[in-house]
Amino acid sequence: MDFLYDSFLSGALLLISLDPELISIVGVSVKVSLSSTCLASAVGVPLGFLVAFEDFKGKRMVVTVLNTLLALPTVVVGLFVYAFISRRGLFGPLDLLYTQKAMVCGQTILIIPVVATLTIAAISRIDERYRETALTLGANRLQTALVVVREARFGIVAAIIAAFGRVIAEVGISMMLGGNAKGFTRTITTAMALEYDKGEFTLAVALGLVLLILSFGINLLFHFVQGRLRA
Amino acid sequence: MYRAAGLKKVHGTKTVLNIPVLEVEKGRIVALLGPNGAGKTTLVHILGFLDVPSDGTLLYRNRPVAWSESRLQSLRREAVVVGQHPILFTTTVYRNLEFGLKVRRVPEKERRRITEATLDLVGMKAFAKSPAHHLSGGETQRVALARALAVSPQVLLCDEPTSSVDLENRAAIIHILKRINEEQKITVIFTTHDRFEAASLAQDTFYLEHGTLTNSPQDNVFSARLYREGDGPTHCVLQETVRLLVPTERVGRARVGIEPGRIDILEAGQVSGGPNRLDARVVQVMEERRRIRLVVDAGVWFTVLMSRQEYLERRIMVGESVTLVVPPESIHLFGEPA
Repeated sequence: MDFLYDSFLSGALLLISLDPELISIVGVSVKVSLSSTCLASAVGVPLGFLVAFEDFKGKRMVVTVLNTLLALPTVVVGLFVYAFISRRGLFGPLDLLYTQKAMVCGQTILIIPVVATLTIAAISRIDERYRETALTLGANRLQTALVVVREARFGIVAAIIAAFGRVIAEVGISMMLGGNAKGFTRTITTAMALEYDKGEFTLAVALGLVLLILSFGINLLFHFVQGRLRA
Repeated sequence: MYRAAGLKKVHGTKTVLNIPVLEVEKGRIVALLGPNGAGKTTLVHILGFLDVPSDGTLLYRNRPVAWSESRLQSLRREAVVVGQHPILFTTTVYRNLEFGLKVRRVPEKERRRITEATLDLVGMKAFAKSPAHHLSGGETQRVALARALAVSPQVLLCDEPTSSVDLENRAAIIHILKRINEEQKITVIFTTHDRFEAASLAQDTFYLEHGTLTNSPQDNVFSARLYREGDGPTHCVLQETVRLLVPTERVGRARVGIEPGRIDILEAGQVSGGPNRLDARVVQVMEERRRIRLVVDAGVWFTVLMSRQEYLERRIMVGESVTLVVPPESIHLFGEPA
């Protein structure tokens, strides 16, 4: 167990000294994950809202498909996107493979179902009386929808945070579509996998600590925002 | 204001509302009186254009209502519904009141003026900046009422406005409803299961029972057993206690209603012809608008309504023994078996 203790200590020191390589890796990870979370939210929140708010034929089927996609393995998404952006693929000429854009693309596909299903859950929990109240006070459909979204805001923010948590910790897509190129597409998780392969645990543990701190920080921020809004 | 014909609402195979004719005059206070499950809320939602009837026509200000979403919005801006358990948006009281004005694009300065005046009207001005979810039930009801009034509706529809509030808030709400009707000429339609509230506040009262309008109020509504002996007339037994002759061929269990205004009260022992004479005792006398309401114990309690003049002539006292005469034609059977 000594190696774990030593790695933990060295990792902590690496973190405190703000090691440039570590900062670069964390920077790439955060940038790519934030981008994919934003894109997935832009698609997933309206999609989830529409599914929850509107009645249409095949609604249950859409919910079932979205729930199924929650269990989508990252390597499947990686493979799927690879097929489109590799040189022989439809978008091959765009030269996207092994770039951060490719990673964002794959991660966005991965978490759209997460954002959408959790948004559906958040909207469905909102009391029907909010919609009725908005309507009777003269709101149009869009204004009524905004009232419901406003009431469901904590649930929707939680959905987005959960999605961010999913992508910052994923490794399959980053490895397959990013290629783990140092300084460009090396993320926390791909770097950890590489360091593990090399038998070098110091950086891996330091990166693991960063992941935990990031996750804790995001949850702390969520609780702070929630508290402020409720007050 | 409203004229409805053949208005129906069906859920699955169950008809929850069936109103052959309904007319509501402009500027009146109208009570929809009935027990739980009578269809009052459904009717209020239809009159507030929040629910679409399954059948029938509804005229609002002499124009037929087209039940398309695009047209309903403009109608909803004239008729506002305040629910039995209203919900306030999770923001401040002020912003709750401002909502209806904001969606109507009322300028901010005007919004502030109206919001403050309306909060003042319901006695909640001090709570303007309070978070709405910190209010008590009665305060919530008053803010919900103010939120509806802030948009200056033509019709205010309140579903059981006082059912879940304390006496103080109840008096305040009744006062507000009367005041806005008198001062702003807003047509007020409210539901209640409390006949005293209906009598004290409403100028017109409609009685709802099993989703349909009925002439007889809820007074004297009993579960009964109908039976015939051979080819003889049908009798009903109210609550297994009082037996009355009833003009029907039906037998079995049923709900019956007896019109309180058609029951006659005679002095005990006074001779009169006709069936359905019951020995009884007067247990309560009260004034209700221009009429007198008597509660009489004849084994089951009957309500009898008479004019003030008639009451003064007869001088019936509480505790007095009397004879009740219930004309068979004053007994009505409700549609569904009990």
